[in-house]
Amino acid sequence: MPTHVDTLDNGLKVILRPIPDTKALSTWVVYRIGSRNEVPGMTGSTHWVEHMLFKGGGKLAKGDIDKMISRLGGKMNAFTDTDYTMYFETIPASEMDTALMIESERMRNAAFDPKEVEAERTVVISEREGAENQPEFAVEEELWGLAFHVHPYHWTPIGYKQDLATLARDPLYQHYLRYYAPNNAALILVGGFDPAVAMQHIREAFAPLKPEAPPEALRLSEPDQRGERRADLERPGPADLLAVGWHIPAAAHEDVPALIVLSTLLGGWRGLVPFAAGDWQPRSNRLYRALVDTKLATDVGVRLEAKLDPSLLIANATLAGGASLDRVESVLDRVVEGVRKTPAPKAEMDRARQQLRAWSRYEQDGVTFQGILLAAGEGLSSWDFGERLLAKAEKVRPEAVRDAARTYLVDSHRSVVRFHAQEDA
Amino acid sequence: MNLPDRTALESGAVLVSNALPSNPFVAFRGSVPAGVAAEGEAHGVAEFTARLLLSGTRRRSAAKLSDRLEGIGATLEFHNGEELLNFHGRCTRETLRETMGLLVECLSEPTFPPREIDRVRGELRNDLRIEADDTHARASRELGSLVFPKDHPYGRDPKGGEARVRQIRRSDLVSFHEEHVGPEALILSIVGDVDRKLIDRSVAEPLSRLKAEGSTVPVIPPPPPHKRRRVSIPMPHKAQVDIAIGAPAVSRRHEDFYALNLANLLFGRIGLYGRLGRNLRDEQGLAYYAYSSLEPRTAAGMWSLAAGVNPQNLAKALTSIRKELERLRSDPFSSEEIRDGKDNQVGSLIVSLERNAEVASELHRMEYYGLGMGFLEQYADIVHGISEGRVRDLAAKYFTPDDSSVVVAGPVGRAPPAW
Repeated sequence: MPTHVDTLDNGLKVILRPIPDTKALSTWVVYRIGSRNEVPGMTGSTHWVEHMLFKGGGKLAKGDIDKMISRLGGKMNAFTDTDYTMYFETIPASEMDTALMIESERMRNAAFDPKEVEAERTVVISEREGAENQPEFAVEEELWGLAFHVHPYHWTPIGYKQDLATLARDPLYQHYLRYYAPNNAALILVGGFDPAVAMQHIREAFAPLKPEAPPEALRLSEPDQRGERRADLERPGPADLLAVGWHIPAAAHEDVPALIVLSTLLGGWRGLVPFAAGDWQPRSNRLYRALVDTKLATDVGVRLEAKLDPSLLIANATLAGGASLDRVESVLDRVVEGVRKTPAPKAEMDRARQQLRAWSRYEQDGVTFQGILLAAGEGLSSWDFGERLLAKAEKVRPEAVRDAARTYLVDSHRSVVRFHAQEDA
Repeated sequence: MNLPDRTALESGAVLVSNALPSNPFVAFRGSVPAGVAAEGEAHGVAEFTARLLLSGTRRRSAAKLSDRLEGIGATLEFHNGEELLNFHGRCTRETLRETMGLLVECLSEPTFPPREIDRVRGELRNDLRIEADDTHARASRELGSLVFPKDHPYGRDPKGGEARVRQIRRSDLVSFHEEHVGPEALILSIVGDVDRKLIDRSVAEPLSRLKAEGSTVPVIPPPPPHKRRRVSIPMPHKAQVDIAIGAPAVSRRHEDFYALNLANLLFGRIGLYGRLGRNLRDEQGLAYYAYSSLEPRTAAGMWSLAAGVNPQNLAKALTSIRKELERLRSDPFSSEEIRDGKDNQVGSLIVSLERNAEVASELHRMEYYGLGMGFLEQYADIVHGISEGRVRDLAAKYFTPDDSSVVVAGPVGRAPPAW
């Protein structure tokens, strides 16, 4: 799809994708700041900053953003990831200036009123406590903590409760000032607009903003894992859970296309970002056949966590009542051994390719989904990252998939978390 | 958006379609009246049946079916609802005919293999355990059963409970399917990269293979009266308490629906959750989520609110919710609030219908509730025609603390919550 790219003098990258005949407009800003940029004692600060950026500042009083977008019947939200933070508004295309004004104020002028920071502390803690109600959250947090000892992927973007309880307003505000600048962000517009007109409005809204000194590159890197790591959680819960994470290279690495196909063979494909898939559960894949069809598990999933730095490929299973974790783990081992041993047959490779191809269309469903794809791509490398990655993945040979399995799905590089569900006390 | 195209097939099925060429694939959404309301006393059968429709047909095993669907990159899902057996999916223009063929095969020729029945039985039992451990699911399920008591289809667990899941036999599923799944009252909406010719060739034609065999369309009885109660569900190992409060509301075709829908928007949805969210989240920082919902169905409806709070803040949150409900009488919605709400509803037509899947759902809703194919064109006038007084009166009439049931689930005691 035709996409225009420009960069303002202050370093703000602008990506415009006009879609004729569309009356909606989705505006996204992605900042290259995530929980990987946090330090111990300040975990969760990036996510907390995200919450504060809905509370006004500059030309915007508290509540204005809600009010302005609501009156237009628009939708808006924000997401904090390990590697980036994204904000969006989808509104009628005729109201472009509203979105541009909100995002330009948000970029440099957020208020961080101490009273508001304090009120938001309990909201963020409540968000975490809501997650803590789910056993899957405990497993996820344990898995990343186990697999990463040095790199900040050790913690998840929500942060630790003890940090959320003690973080003060000023360090949060400094975190914001340091990373929220035009030269550390990209602005993306998708929808019904004329690119030349849009560019003029964007310059008016964003050109006056001053850049910051570029953030220093992250110097922490995770040492090679030597030997399998395991954790057993014994807590009240409804079902046993298994999660296995293998170290994989960063998203830009040349082996990632093969890992995408490998992930599809193991667990099916649900798109590059999870939003479009909804409840869709692929069944034509090796883990589903080996664990769900055989009644050992009721749910399985495989996720390739493509990130800026070396990350994880994760397999999850929710065990069926009466199935044992040992048994499920040994079946998983056998499935993994299968992909390591022999290249996948042609029919299976064709099916995986067809899924990648179809999902690349499904993920273009409307301006909001297109915006998230471009923004997430830009957060990792470039707006067309997803498109390029999938194009490469489609050409991957079965032998390359087997080789990727041999290189990365190695027992000594994996972390295993087993959740033993206990009866509620 | 152009006026949707509607075709009634001889079999009784209705096709509704709309071309959205900027989204380069096809989304579909459909239903037959084979939901919980159709199962009578055979609780759990509708849910069990829905979960088995991808488990094998006379022509293909479950594995071959998923191999073929995913081999052409299509998705197809079946979900049981209170009134309907729903299905939806995605495919491309090129694979539409085959995908529709597979849909018809799943609807008309499921074989309910014993092995798959065992698998789904285990899945249902696991889901019952998982829901029993989920504070939000527990609170909202309990509230539903209070607002729609005595096993009314709107209030009972569609899974039927552990005992029913164990009892259901293959013959129950076969009978239910024979009796309730057919083209009669089937609705299918198709949106995206389509045109009239493609719909005729790739949708209407395969769908005509679905033979009418006199499937019955259930009449949904009005629910028994709501007896308000306060219930605590102790789950001591949880970090957060989920609150669910609600009461009966109106059906989709009730004359109060539009004004009440606007009142609900203002009370617990607009912006970051309307008045309720502003109070609990924004001003007091008590909850990450605090919102209200209006769920109108064919025979009745429910209004409810939900919030997740730290157990130490439970009493404060309940007091604040009660005050916010009482405020609907002492400080009714202002003209400005109502104007903002109307602007939101009219503006959201563009924003909420930007995706194929969203448009397909809306077209399905229009057909199911008999709103007419011109509904979207008339919607702005409907909203502008709502009187301010009616919005205030209905908020005061339906959103009343003393007529609502209150459920809390999480680290709480057994005593009913103070309200």
